[in-house]
Amino acid sequence: MKEAVKNQELEIRELLGDDGPLGTAGAPSDSAVEAALRTARPKLERALDKVRRPLARIGVINTEIGRLLVAEGPRGLLAVQFLDIGDAPDLLAAMKERFDLVEDQSVAIRIAQEIERYLSGDLHALDRPVDLSLVRSEFQRRALTRLRRTVPPGSVITYQALAAAVGAPAGQRAIGNTMATNPVPLYVPCHRVIRSDGTVGNYGGGVARKLKLLRAEGFSMDRDYRIPAGSVMGHLVTRIFCRPQCHAAMRADKAKSVIFADPARARTAGLRACKLCRPA
Amino acid sequence: MEARASLNLPPPFAEAVSRHEREIMRFLLRMTRDQHDAADLFQETWLRAYRAYPQLDSEQGLRPWLYRIATNLCRNRARDNLRRTRVIANGDDPEADRRHTASASADGGNHDALLHLRRAIAALPGKQGQALMMRKFAGFEYEEIGAALECSAESARANVYQALKKLKAAR
Repeated sequence: MKEAVKNQELEIRELLGDDGPLGTAGAPSDSAVEAALRTARPKLERALDKVRRPLARIGVINTEIGRLLVAEGPRGLLAVQFLDIGDAPDLLAAMKERFDLVEDQSVAIRIAQEIERYLSGDLHALDRPVDLSLVRSEFQRRALTRLRRTVPPGSVITYQALAAAVGAPAGQRAIGNTMATNPVPLYVPCHRVIRSDGTVGNYGGGVARKLKLLRAEGFSMDRDYRIPAGSVMGHLVTRIFCRPQCHAAMRADKAKSVIFADPARARTAGLRACKLCRPA
Repeated sequence: MEARASLNLPPPFAEAVSRHEREIMRFLLRMTRDQHDAADLFQETWLRAYRAYPQLDSEQGLRPWLYRIATNLCRNRARDNLRRTRVIANGDDPEADRRHTASASADGGNHDALLHLRRAIAALPGKQGQALMMRKFAGFEYEEIGAALECSAESARANVYQALKKLKAAR
């Protein structure tokens, strides 16, 4: 007990001393700390389990089309971001709010491999599930989902047609914004959305990348960045494709049409030629 | 490796816990001198840290940031305890009474002096109390205190100095 009194005196002196941390007086012993942790740790784990965010793996990697930030959550690919474009901090902040981020290069490496395969002609290399939970609104999610499901490689759709397809015929500007903020480009093919006048339009990763991606899919825009001469209109419900000038094509619901680079691509996608305009 | 350099993310939360749980527990035990209080505050500190973890920008800020959370909670707890003891002075709360008797036992004078000092620390204005606790109980450098309290190292030193002055006066 003498010892304790001395320690307390010492501690008071140390507490009131002008500088420096407290010495050993009044300090808990290592074994006391360990004992406290033994009971506190499992309790903390249980409490954390109730509020835990899902895990997402994140990495950065160089690819043929630039330096990419890649993130994948338990339900699918969350983000593929061109790092030379610049809104990575925003995206990172949005991801941190919803996920526990872990740096894991293996995801980035897998995605880079898929993209290389894709660019060298394996058009199904990007079929893995995506998680659109970073997308801001339900409308935007619907547009991106619809785009991914209905506009296959080798075809494009106009902003207007996509807007109509998700029930907002006057919403082409909103579609433009949606494409510009698409967190998963390539995998959700926003490069396949073009302007209604047939020109290539903008791209979040730069127009040069858009042209390159379209070319890799067999859709080469002409010298004026317009859809090529031999392109055909494909109707996704009737599964028929027409020349753009065909009466049937003009009457058809644009919301259900996509544009194929040529008849061969339309056939590959399972459509047949129109019997009126007979595209080659 | 390359990714870490460019993203500068804080470590995964579980890693932050295993890296700092010991010193946080030690700090809390020393601050509260009560196993139950320390255990409560330990859990509360890490839960708060987890909730706020998305706002933490980089690894460098982690340790002072954790201490800021722990220090805040300690101060709140100390203030609550202070209020409780005042209530006991009039009414009777058997649980807190037991505590008081237990703590006042045996080595009277010094213990009361320590208790008095701790109350004075709890009563210090915000930054002064926090700066003092970080300096005394966690052994922080003034730069680290500055980082935790979002002020300069000089200002942190001044806060510690002011706090000590008040404690001596309160004695």
